[in-house]
Amino acid sequence: MNTSRLFLAGILWMSLLSPGELPQATDNQAALVKQSSIIFAGTVSQVAATSFAGVPKSAQTIVVRVDSVLKKPAAVSLKKGDNVTVEVKDPAAFQDGTQATFFADGWIFGAGVAVKEVGHEILPSGGTPVAAAGTGEKTFGQLQQEIGDQDLQRRVATADYVIIGRITDVHQWIVPKSAAARYRTSEHSANWHEAVLQIQSILKGPKVKRNKMIVRFPQSQDVAWANAPKFEKQQQGIFILKKDQVSGDATASLGGYTVDAYTCLTPGDWLPLSDEARVRSLLKK
Amino acid sequence: MRSLAGYWTRVLPLPVLAVMAGTLFVGGQSPPGVAPTHAKVVDVIPASLSGETNQDSEPFLAVQAANPQVMVASAFTPNPISSAGNAPVYVSEDAGNTWVLSAITPVQRMTCDITHAMSTGENHPRGDLHAGTLACAASITLDESESDDVSSSAVMNVQSTRTNVDQPFVRALPFSNIDHIYVGLNDLGQSSGHTATVDVSLDGGATYKSYSIESRKTMGQDGPSVRPAVAPDNTVYAAFFGWRKFNGSIATSDVVVVRDDAGATAPQAFQALKDPSDKLPGRLVVKRVSIPWSNAPTLGQERIGSTLSIAVDPNNSSTVYVGWADRGRKGDIYTLHVRRSTDRGVTWSKSDLPHTTISNATNIALAVANNGVAGFLHQQLSGGRWVTHVVQSRDGFATIQDTVLASVPADTPVEQFLPYLGDYDYLLAVGNEFRGVFCANNTPDRANFPQGVTYQRTADFNTKTLTDGSGNPVAISIDPFYFSVPVMP
Repeated sequence: MNTSRLFLAGILWMSLLSPGELPQATDNQAALVKQSSIIFAGTVSQVAATSFAGVPKSAQTIVVRVDSVLKKPAAVSLKKGDNVTVEVKDPAAFQDGTQATFFADGWIFGAGVAVKEVGHEILPSGGTPVAAAGTGEKTFGQLQQEIGDQDLQRRVATADYVIIGRITDVHQWIVPKSAAARYRTSEHSANWHEAVLQIQSILKGPKVKRNKMIVRFPQSQDVAWANAPKFEKQQQGIFILKKDQVSGDATASLGGYTVDAYTCLTPGDWLPLSDEARVRSLLKK
Repeated sequence: MRSLAGYWTRVLPLPVLAVMAGTLFVGGQSPPGVAPTHAKVVDVIPASLSGETNQDSEPFLAVQAANPQVMVASAFTPNPISSAGNAPVYVSEDAGNTWVLSAITPVQRMTCDITHAMSTGENHPRGDLHAGTLACAASITLDESESDDVSSSAVMNVQSTRTNVDQPFVRALPFSNIDHIYVGLNDLGQSSGHTATVDVSLDGGATYKSYSIESRKTMGQDGPSVRPAVAPDNTVYAAFFGWRKFNGSIATSDVVVVRDDAGATAPQAFQALKDPSDKLPGRLVVKRVSIPWSNAPTLGQERIGSTLSIAVDPNNSSTVYVGWADRGRKGDIYTLHVRRSTDRGVTWSKSDLPHTTISNATNIALAVANNGVAGFLHQQLSGGRWVTHVVQSRDGFATIQDTVLASVPADTPVEQFLPYLGDYDYLLAVGNEFRGVFCANNTPDRANFPQGVTYQRTADFNTKTLTDGSGNPVAISIDPFYFSVPVMP
């Protein structure tokens, strides 16, 4: 693991901290890291071959023995010494014994792992990975932070509001009769609820009358909605909101007034207050 | 080991042996010889995903009838590496001994309903897989899609799409070198309230035509489950819950069966079976039963509200079975029932078939083998455990062979979402086998699997723990299990 992290840190070190020295490689490596779910260094052991049953063999498939794993999802079992099938873009670039770093996306999972190449870097003679930096652990963290920040930046950029606030009430949304036909009974029914959000600070978006908003959210635990944030009275945090285009009614009633309803549907659309400085910083960029 | 088994066979009476083996014979007739000995249970999670802890619930299975080594299974399994990637299915090309996960569905990340069937009409030995999938994003979208080679890893071709439907349930039938496809679904876009629908394709999925199969007044819609069954002679049945009243927690429902004798090729499809009470299409198997609806953990950690199955004898389409769950009596939670018709659905058994009234149970799946033996898969909450049974009978369940596939703790793992095990599981007859899938707690404990079990993922049956392939412990979760059980002779 340390080897992997150091190696990845090396890539990051080059991509993040030495942009002047290797501008093209830096951009390429950083992009590859972000696009790849699985990154490993390995040695080609067979070309036009596959490593386990169930993977379609072609001229583009090669078998690579893993020398070190640099990045993988926790669910995926992959370690040094495993044989991985890689569907490469240009099979002519590989022969038995070629050592390379593979930037890849998952393809087929069976007795082993098969991936599709996003990119690769042939390792220098002797297979020494790209130079690792002494500040490896820190740099690895920087990469994760950078990727996370970019996701968050995209999220806030597409939001109508970014609000720091507190939930003062939660109640079931009474579906208006005009929309009732849309709300037939299904195990996937959202069971829409409304949270009244007392605004403490608007980080993005125009001023709100009476300093309150309605956040409509699915209370259902059904597979379709289980990952959507659920809210409770007194809950505080940062709410990344979009105008409601999902429930079927874009408006809500708040204190006798008709107001726009907002939603907050995907994990990460609500953040704890500890993320305030990070969000403010990203909003300035 | 063999000699020890031989010793116990000699010294113990058959019923005791049967219970030890997880197989129990009940009824007036004695079983012929010994119990089936070649049941197979396989955890389909591949070795390379040993670190996963998903709630892989709601399983389904398709078998390529002309090449039954090839199968496709599915569950609520997310794409293991990317939220932007396609939702996967499990593919086996060796009759279920091993499985790979391949991201070929048209849905992003994970389906929120998927069923499928493989048919032989177009002569693709690893196809044609016809799937009905729901994508649950801003709206619920049905894709009806096809793959002519499930081993190719190519994403399925979407042939038809629409929104606001529920529980697509796919069956397929080869006919003159083309696949006929029947997708039962609850079309919530039907303004009439006649929502029970069968989408029919007579050209391998190139085009679909929707038939509402409800002809009576509803409370605004029918229940979610709409289940077709097809026979090789082109008889197509479909069963559904005709919801007559609904108060949010109880549906007062008829169990309705419709039939078409020509594969739904005529303009007025599914009209062949009329009820004598009102002369309307759709035979009322039972009237106005109370079906509890709870989209919350109710039966153990499982929700309840719509479990339904129908199966037709492939060699005698006059014989058809239907099963469902309702609240049989006060204090009951959820009870299964099975009825049978031997005259093409015109008349039905007046009461449940023997040995088929099962309390605290769900996920009924029925199938009929070539020799007429009926199979009845279900999962019962019993003594704090989910017990998965396959019950077989050659005589309308007067005598049965009950094979327990799994008996696992019901309180672990804690549910991640609903459904916990699934709103359905599945059973098919393939030659002299019943094949199917169910979901269960994946603790590697041989005592939980009386027929034995094979894990592909890394598991230590001595310590009863899972690991990620590198020695790190992995939490228990819900996995899909494939099984094969010999059909009674």
